[in-house]
Amino acid sequence: MSKSYEFVPEPPLVQGNHTFGSITALIGDIPERETPKGWYIAFGVANLLLLLLVALLSYLVWEGLGVWGLNNPAGWGWAIINFVWWVGIGHAGTLISAILFLFRQHWRTAINRFAEAMTIFAVMCAGLFPAFHVGRIWVIYWVFPVPNQMGMWPNFSSPLLWDVFAVSTYFTVSLLFWYVGLIPDLATLRDRVKSKTSRFFYGMFALGWTGSNRHWLNYEKAYMILAGLATPLVLSVHTIVSFDMSVSNVPGWHSTIFPPYFVAGAIYSGFAMVVSLMIISRKIYGLEDIMTVDIMEKMNIIMMVTGNMVAFSYLMEGFMSWYSGYIYERGIFWLYVVGPYAWGFWILMFCNVINPQFMWFKKVRRSVTLTFLVATFANIGMWYERFMIIVASLATDFMPSSWAYYSPTWVDYLTYVGTFGLFFTFFLLFLRFLPMVAISEVKAGLPQADPHYYEEDDQLEGSNGAGSIVIQPNESV
Amino acid sequence: METKENKQLHGILAEFQNPATLLHAAEAVNNAGYNKFDTFSPFPIHGIEKAMGLKKSKLGWIVLGFGLVGLIGAVWLMVWVMSSAMPLSISGKPLIDPPIYVPIAFELTVLLSSFGAVFGMLFLNGLPKPYNPLFNSENFNKASDDGFFLYIESEDALFSEYKTTELLKDAEAVNLEKIYD
Amino acid sequence: MSKTNENPTYWKSLNQLANNEEYKKFLEREFPENASELKDGMSRKNFLRIMGASIALAGFAACRRPVEKILPYKTRPEEVVPGNPLYYATAMPYRGSLTGLVVETHEGRPTKIEGNTEHPASMGNTNTQMQGAILGLYDPDRAHGITSDGQKKSWDDFLSFAKQNFTSDKKVAFLCEANSSLTLNRLKKDALKKFKNAEWVTYEPFGEQNALEGNNQAFGKKLRTYNHFDKAKVIVSLDADFLQQGSENVTNIGNYTRGRALESTKDSMNRLYAVESNYSLTGSNADHRLRIKNSEVELFTYALAASLADKIGGLEAFKGYNNHFSNHSWVSVLTEDLLNNKGESIVAAGNDQNPAVHAAVAAINMALENKDKTVSYYDVPTFETGNDTQRFYELTRDLKAGKYDALVMIGTNPVFTAPSDLDFSSALKATKTTVLLSQYHDETARQTQWHVNRAHFLEQWGDGTSYTGVKSVIQPMIQPLYGGKSEIEYLYAIINGTSGDGHKLVRETWKSYLSSTNFENQWEKILHDGILPNTEFDTPRVSLSSSFATYMNQAFAQAKKPGDNEIELVIKPDNKIIDGRYGNIGWLQELPDPVTKITWDNVALMSLKTAATFGVKNEDVVSITSGGKTVKLAAWVLPGHADNSITIWAGYGRKGIGRIADDDFGIYVDNKYKTLPFEVHKFESKNVFPFVTTDNPLYHTSVTVKKTGEYYSIASTQDHSSMEGRPLARQGTLDTYREDPHFAPEMEEVAGIEKKSYRKFPDALYTPQEGYDYLPQWGMSIDLNSCIGCGTCTIACQAENNIPVVGKEQVKRGREMHWVRTDRYFIGNDAGDPEIIHQPVPCMQCELAPCEEVCPVAATTHSRTGLNQMTYNRCIGTRYCANNCPYKVRRFNFFNFSKEFLSSGDDPEVIQMAMNPDVTVRFRGVMEKCTYCVQRLNRAQIDRQLETKNQSFKPVDGSVQTACQQACPANAINFGDISDPNSKVVKVKHNERNYIMLDVLNTRPRTSYLAKIRNPNPKMS
Repeated sequence: MSKSYEFVPEPPLVQGNHTFGSITALIGDIPERETPKGWYIAFGVANLLLLLLVALLSYLVWEGLGVWGLNNPAGWGWAIINFVWWVGIGHAGTLISAILFLFRQHWRTAINRFAEAMTIFAVMCAGLFPAFHVGRIWVIYWVFPVPNQMGMWPNFSSPLLWDVFAVSTYFTVSLLFWYVGLIPDLATLRDRVKSKTSRFFYGMFALGWTGSNRHWLNYEKAYMILAGLATPLVLSVHTIVSFDMSVSNVPGWHSTIFPPYFVAGAIYSGFAMVVSLMIISRKIYGLEDIMTVDIMEKMNIIMMVTGNMVAFSYLMEGFMSWYSGYIYERGIFWLYVVGPYAWGFWILMFCNVINPQFMWFKKVRRSVTLTFLVATFANIGMWYERFMIIVASLATDFMPSSWAYYSPTWVDYLTYVGTFGLFFTFFLLFLRFLPMVAISEVKAGLPQADPHYYEEDDQLEGSNGAGSIVIQPNESV
Repeated sequence: METKENKQLHGILAEFQNPATLLHAAEAVNNAGYNKFDTFSPFPIHGIEKAMGLKKSKLGWIVLGFGLVGLIGAVWLMVWVMSSAMPLSISGKPLIDPPIYVPIAFELTVLLSSFGAVFGMLFLNGLPKPYNPLFNSENFNKASDDGFFLYIESEDALFSEYKTTELLKDAEAVNLEKIYD
Repeated sequence: MSKTNENPTYWKSLNQLANNEEYKKFLEREFPENASELKDGMSRKNFLRIMGASIALAGFAACRRPVEKILPYKTRPEEVVPGNPLYYATAMPYRGSLTGLVVETHEGRPTKIEGNTEHPASMGNTNTQMQGAILGLYDPDRAHGITSDGQKKSWDDFLSFAKQNFTSDKKVAFLCEANSSLTLNRLKKDALKKFKNAEWVTYEPFGEQNALEGNNQAFGKKLRTYNHFDKAKVIVSLDADFLQQGSENVTNIGNYTRGRALESTKDSMNRLYAVESNYSLTGSNADHRLRIKNSEVELFTYALAASLADKIGGLEAFKGYNNHFSNHSWVSVLTEDLLNNKGESIVAAGNDQNPAVHAAVAAINMALENKDKTVSYYDVPTFETGNDTQRFYELTRDLKAGKYDALVMIGTNPVFTAPSDLDFSSALKATKTTVLLSQYHDETARQTQWHVNRAHFLEQWGDGTSYTGVKSVIQPMIQPLYGGKSEIEYLYAIINGTSGDGHKLVRETWKSYLSSTNFENQWEKILHDGILPNTEFDTPRVSLSSSFATYMNQAFAQAKKPGDNEIELVIKPDNKIIDGRYGNIGWLQELPDPVTKITWDNVALMSLKTAATFGVKNEDVVSITSGGKTVKLAAWVLPGHADNSITIWAGYGRKGIGRIADDDFGIYVDNKYKTLPFEVHKFESKNVFPFVTTDNPLYHTSVTVKKTGEYYSIASTQDHSSMEGRPLARQGTLDTYREDPHFAPEMEEVAGIEKKSYRKFPDALYTPQEGYDYLPQWGMSIDLNSCIGCGTCTIACQAENNIPVVGKEQVKRGREMHWVRTDRYFIGNDAGDPEIIHQPVPCMQCELAPCEEVCPVAATTHSRTGLNQMTYNRCIGTRYCANNCPYKVRRFNFFNFSKEFLSSGDDPEVIQMAMNPDVTVRFRGVMEKCTYCVQRLNRAQIDRQLETKNQSFKPVDGSVQTACQQACPANAINFGDISDPNSKVVKVKHNERNYIMLDVLNTRPRTSYLAKIRNPNPKMS
């Protein structure tokens, strides 16, 4: 039997009939516009927290690691948990800009800019922890292969060293990627702003960009290549972070499922964070037209998928620990479930296994408030996942005689809180002074950006440059 | 532009209605045989490189070069350190132990390649370029907003103030401006 | 050598220079040797001066080297070679008898104590207290001088005081600790000659007086019991913790483990039955253990004697006696087992049991014909006649009645330890003249007129006899740090009012034991060997005295069954600080108790059931009231403890002794109160001596216990006591071993898969690097069958490797620094009455060490001799190695522990003098761990190279020992070169019981274990 097909167009990316100019105005004017009071309040709070962080880290370095709750079996505690958690969050940005770019997902243009910014700041927060958790931070530079009078070099077989390279590379590349994306928009701002000084600074960072199409040629190539490089990179970072655990022999760490499992978890938490931040900033800056609910729904779907991948790997862990028959592996999983840290395990189960299931319902996916809730739980859940993996596994490993209950100190708590100060200080500065949406990319996504748009004959309805058209079989006929 | 007299003509800047007209204009100018010309738009326009008769970007080769340097450098460093500079027995592992090279070799390759991509792109575009005669034109600010421009330099062999202006007029330029330097 | 002695001030001044700010700064630098560091403000000249000073600081003790000629044990050098230690033989007075020691001294500074292999009481081994003695020597809290009523006085003041007050017409009472000193005994005679109707009383809170009185009742003679545990096949311990308590415990441990050693399936081993209320160390090693109330042990003994009486002669006194134990399965089984092993059995009673029990036990051993086979009764000449306990009571009463002009106390602390109803302090008030010789300005000292600070045994000349009577001389290793006096100098001064030189006094005494013709040669030989051989006490032929039967009948009358729900309180000497005398030694305080793993505190031990009845769990505070006295203590549930019984260790709850010993962790220095840099919060008055009364010296039968609702945290080093079914510490019975000798290595770690099958898999995916075969390949084997879990290895390691004391708070956080710990697991299905297995765990020195590959800076790597070594200077402290160590033997310096430990006290250098110069002191933020005492290994290797002119790099087997191995009283640890097929350790590793912990991980440890074998009686079910 023959089937006839009809086109069901995707909803336009940008709602409300915007022109190139109106979009420039919508985003480009934010730095010019009167700063909302809320911004100052938020910025003040963020600064206080940042100050707290600085104070606590100085205290740590002055007194010694003993001020943290670490003990003998649990040599790693909150520091590493927070590190992994922040790095995980840092995954969304580059993922959105790189992978979705390669997949021609044009809806990314609405969020990629501040997702990338978020990535960079999250990785900064993450980077603090491994640096400060060492016993003698004043010789931390020994982890870099710098020729020195001791004739010593790092040990390249240590996953911790791989981490050093992975995270620093990830940070650098994300930063470059972000900056390259910014150049044309900086030029836009350069050409808009009134005050001489801001003109000077925007101008300086715009590097004299003119929008020449000879430049655009190389520029697009570069952007494409960067995306191509960042894609494996973003997958490699959490893979290597997971090596810190999976390469060791600690029961509950030594597991081959960790790399995919960690990456999935990272995307899960990363998207959760982006969605939450998007929901906030679209409200404050009235960007509902660009950061549309459709986009939110798309991201929710990704959260649901990755969330279920995570849930699946929990199942696999449980199954493998039983199937392996390896008594220490069995022991640790049983201890997760009923052991001293069982409470953490069940919080985790709710946040990462039950919680994403809500996203099956379109209502939830499209509801701003519910999405925000689910996203928040997702982030809590991912923190507890790392808590269970790192602390619970270490505190109850091979030697029952050495088991000890790990409990954090007030320094641990407040240091973690402090990192939010660091994060939001930078993030708010970004919102205030930089275009939070990729202007040129949004324009390129508009229907009128396509030269064919002006040729009367083929006015494809809803041809919006996204070029992605869903084809659904029509059962009638 | 009160000081036209003591400055000399640098080129003619033509503004167009939309990407489509700019595209056609570029085609016309290119067919007319001009080569010292350029088009400006707030975003890349599909197919304009063909219209302008531009060749493919050479960036890929630069990136490849950087990438190879990263890869070989990383592997060489690790082999040299672990086997000759600091040959230690670590967990009884052999001094040359390829599996452990993978993560760092990969990371350094990516790092160097992206350096190549970014700095290569800036190099090919001759950026940063703090001064550009076009910045003298108030109107040109629109190039980063919603303006579509075509610029023909006076350097060009075929350039003559009259002929060129006519050509651009025929190409539906909405606004013409002489740029002095 | 003698040059230094003439001008000590010269050194002192340099030493002071070494302490100036500039020098301190210099020391604080990370790399003092780094030239660039030296540029700022420090000229080369200045630098040299300071380095010289620091070397002088190391040789600070040089100025204190004794003037008299003492002889090195091994080598007799022309002069001291700096950096090369010298070994001297001496002996330690431990609870009334001597144990022969060899002391390692660096530039005249004793740093480490080892056993004297030629001394029968030591046989080369030591116990925790002996290892800790070094820290006791350098204890900055020891009394710094003579005081009288709080005033500082000089020795001459004391002499003149003695001259005036101790005239022959005075009625003087002497109260002396248990002391075997021959010279003291000689002077004692002089004293009793000089002072008419003087009394000399020996007093020990936890001494052997009950045993002596028991034998006295049995044999009509005050004899010392000595059990040859190596000769016995069956041992019955009636609350006798002979492996931990008693002055001869080192000998006992050695003998006991020798009696259990298994080299092959053919060997046989002894069987130990323990009957006790508390879970003692001995009980934890028993093959069968019966937990009954302490007050019932007496009844059990009589019941046993009675059932034996039906089978053999010599126990007529017990015929017809019966009580609720008479039909107990244990009594019948024991009777049978003992009768089957006549002359090869031992019945031993604890010192804390009353004399009647000891009398009964003596009779049983006689009846079983054990005398002179497995049990010896020694006639100790230095004993006074009569019951020491009673004589002490009478003396106190007389003192209170003012019957004496003067009281001379030697080394005792009766105000703290004497029965509370005696009220000894009032006796002190009632006496005109009171003098005391003791190391600390303790409770008694504060109420005594004159306090003379006592010299540490490492600072004094002295002598004495071992538990079995072998005579030794105590040589000083160093001159008294605080100008202390030995008991003989002190007593001599009191008798003669003049100063007597210890050296001369001892030689004087020994004239009578050595032939006058070649005295000097013999004397030198004795100093060199440390003993005068073949001088055991004689063992008189004895028989049961006629009065024995009547005596026992009285005992039967008194011994009655306690009420079932009656709560009983037992005061036991602490396993580490005994009656508190070693309370200020941080190493001992921080050493986990062998059974409970508790550090720093004493607790109210009780069984699960009892705790349930009180509704308390660990660390709940209970208030215990008995005889009008109340003490508040944290409860601690000890599985296997007798029900309705509470055991508390004595010796805690002190004030003003020292930083470590005190409750509130402070000390009086010149009447000023000072506290330590690191805090150890202790509980108010945990002193349980007030419970001890003349009527109930041993235990209280009716005690009320209340839960207070308060909570007091206890620092225990092991929170989890179940092995979770994991084959870590492996054990089997003698029968299983004989049926399947390989049972231990075959225990499976992957459910359903046999070891053999996955042993076939390739070891590694790569060919691992091997050690170099021209070098020794070090390996260790620990025999769990010998290990009794005493913890001596831990202290020995701490002494050898400069391991700091971290304090209770840090131990609670799980940050203790011990390089070798002893794991204690409870085994068995009955949670109320489990078995215990001990397992010492040092670094396993894995050949494929998981810790090494994960270190990002290569701070831990493998040596060519197969050691897994730490480079402290390279370590940045990621703690990844510790995470990845499956054996959890790595220790991290979370704070600057060493600095705190070594800078505590009024004159820190004193503690610093205890440090071993061959071992780095670790700083904050670095990881550390057991190194197999690499400093010893390298020294041995270098010596070997020199001997053989670089022909061989492999030390001869047995020429090098690790600290733990050398100290281990059970000889459970073997160590050596595993590349040498004839070495002891290789032979041991070939034993079928040899297994590797967590070998499923294929870490290839160099340290392996021999499984523990128990020898249960099949009749006991």
